[in-house]
Amino acid sequence: MSRREYWILILPSLLVMFGLLLVPMYRTVEWSLKDVNYGEPGTFVGLDNYMLALTDPRFAASVVFTVGLTLIVMLVVIVLGYILAVLVNNLGRMRPLVLGILLISYVIPNVVGATMFSWLFDTNFGGVANLILGWFGQDDLLWFTDRWPNRIMIALNVIWAMLPFSMLILLAGLQGVPQEIIEAAKIDGAGTLGKHFHVILPSIRGMVGFVAIISIMDVLRVFDNLIPLAPNAILNGNESIALYTYNMAFQDGGQQLGLGSVINVLTIVIMLIMLIPFLRNTIKEARSL
Amino acid sequence: MFHRSSTKAAVAASIGATMLVSGCGAGSRSADQTAPEVACDFEAPSSPTTVNVLAYNSSAIDPFTNALVANCSKDDVSVVHEPVDFAGQVQRTTTTLAGSSGTYDIIETYGMIIPENAETERLIPLDDLVEQHSAQYGLDELNPQMIEAMSYEGSLYALPMQAQVFVMAYRTDIFDDLGLEPPTTFDELGDVAQEIQDQGEMSYPLALPLHTSSDLLTAYDSALGSLGVDLVDHEAQTPNFDQPEAIQAFEALLELRPFLDPQVTTFDQPAVQQQMYNGSAAISIMFSGRMNDLVQEGNSQYFDDIGFAAPPVVGDGEYQYSALSVDGWSIPANTDVDDELLFHMIASSVGEDSSEAAIPDAYPAREGIVTEENSPYADAANDAIGSAPPVEPHPYIPRVGNAILPIIAQVFNGDLTPEDGAERMQDDAQDVLDAE
Repeated sequence: MSRREYWILILPSLLVMFGLLLVPMYRTVEWSLKDVNYGEPGTFVGLDNYMLALTDPRFAASVVFTVGLTLIVMLVVIVLGYILAVLVNNLGRMRPLVLGILLISYVIPNVVGATMFSWLFDTNFGGVANLILGWFGQDDLLWFTDRWPNRIMIALNVIWAMLPFSMLILLAGLQGVPQEIIEAAKIDGAGTLGKHFHVILPSIRGMVGFVAIISIMDVLRVFDNLIPLAPNAILNGNESIALYTYNMAFQDGGQQLGLGSVINVLTIVIMLIMLIPFLRNTIKEARSL
Repeated sequence: MFHRSSTKAAVAASIGATMLVSGCGAGSRSADQTAPEVACDFEAPSSPTTVNVLAYNSSAIDPFTNALVANCSKDDVSVVHEPVDFAGQVQRTTTTLAGSSGTYDIIETYGMIIPENAETERLIPLDDLVEQHSAQYGLDELNPQMIEAMSYEGSLYALPMQAQVFVMAYRTDIFDDLGLEPPTTFDELGDVAQEIQDQGEMSYPLALPLHTSSDLLTAYDSALGSLGVDLVDHEAQTPNFDQPEAIQAFEALLELRPFLDPQVTTFDQPAVQQQMYNGSAAISIMFSGRMNDLVQEGNSQYFDDIGFAAPPVVGDGEYQYSALSVDGWSIPANTDVDDELLFHMIASSVGEDSSEAAIPDAYPAREGIVTEENSPYADAANDAIGSAPPVEPHPYIPRVGNAILPIIAQVFNGDLTPEDGAERMQDDAQDVLDAE
């Protein structure tokens, strides 16, 4: 391929990246240094917006909530996703049907899925979960207003929505593990757990890392699930970083675009910090190939 | 790798589920099927024109939007309205009015946002157009109170289409069984709720929309307004939360807490409607546009047991616990479409025929057309509309509201005392006013 052909082929991608990635990123950083409203050029205020965000206890609470949720969801979707993938992988003729059913929660838009999910816990709309808990004498859980019941409900919903993705990726990984290695481990006397921990999991480490990276990026941006699930988020400390940004920059005609931009910049920083271990591993593996 | 059959099944299931979900969630784009046939006369533009309408979907707004879309789409003019909820409408209004060119040509506005957008010249004053075409569309029959709510500093910025005012709905079967009368004061409301609760049939007989996103602010403002006090002393440019009524309004709402669902701060108006539908509450107070739904047989088994009354007063206040919210059509200053053409459209939408067709879902802006014969809640709404606290048409009111809402929620949640809450509200609201 000539240099000219190379540039002709790569130019559209560069233009798209410039328009959809670099320009918005530049504007976000620019606005983070301004007091700016919609449609106005804004006034330069230096680091005032950063000071405002970093001294706001509500932002600190949203970071703690979001990072905690991210870590828990990431761990659960990897563990449960792996178990599900193993179970699905061992299915015979039923595998396509089961796989299709399992994927439904992944393709439902978050806000729709979360609304339906909220009805399970809302007595006003049926409240199946409350009904079941009532059989066991637990009938006074305030899922939407009390902090920890609400957090559990949110985590369950995010896990429900993300589990199929994890299962799908890990299933692909499982199907790529050579049968010979598994057979050899069996002959060497490996038990079921040993086979998984010492043979299969090390073989699909890259896939596990990929699931972790995507989970971190997705859950750190969690937003639309919280509209139906966490209507009291500000009061009970269950406001995610993205919801905090929305509340500041958009809700009820809010116009703090500078502050919203600061939160976006800080979110990218948090995301990069959380991704460092996984990115290092990925880079190491790429170098070793 | 996946087996081919597994992949196919998974893809098929994904596509099927996506289509199912998107179909359910898309909303109707052809809501004009039930629209009334009304004249929408305008001089045809020289080139094909698309008129984009921004209006949220609700049973009270839809009749007017439908009339606009169904009757004004002709002669190379296409009127487009995409379904959107109220929160989406609020955001889109802010963004479309912000720049030198916007996405929408007709915007459904309401009293709260008129002053700010009028002051910044983002909406076109309609006085000249009204004067020119008043006779053609009978615009002199529009309610003066609603005209006032759509005006700022003497100029009209939206043609009022309909008003929402608080109305009380109650279960006539329960009230009759217990020999109760509809309450006219908050004290009586508490007594009636206590009586129903004591019977043991309902744990939380009272249903109010007190969602922390904005309903709670409206509730507090309504309680304060019922006591005759505005949020702000507009002459002195100081908030009124240092007045004794600011604490009294909190106490009035907090005294109702035992009769409300413990999670009431998550209940918006649809959730309150649901409480009435499923019989978990016996009394509710919400905007009038929600009332007709309560007497629809398809919605609830209690449809025949619903009575309506004006909302009670707080203390011995002059006004009822209420809020008057008027919706109207505005023309954004940044539209490229001819103002005259747009005015004909919005005027036809609020004409007599359209307005009559909107009853009983809406309380149209025309005087005297809502009667006991055509609307089940007419008497209650007619009483309530004349006794609502006056609106506060000032550009800074939405920003004051945004500043105090979290504090109101903390007081209502028991995290702050009414005294501490009022003090903080005074400080935060003063900061907003000082920044003006």
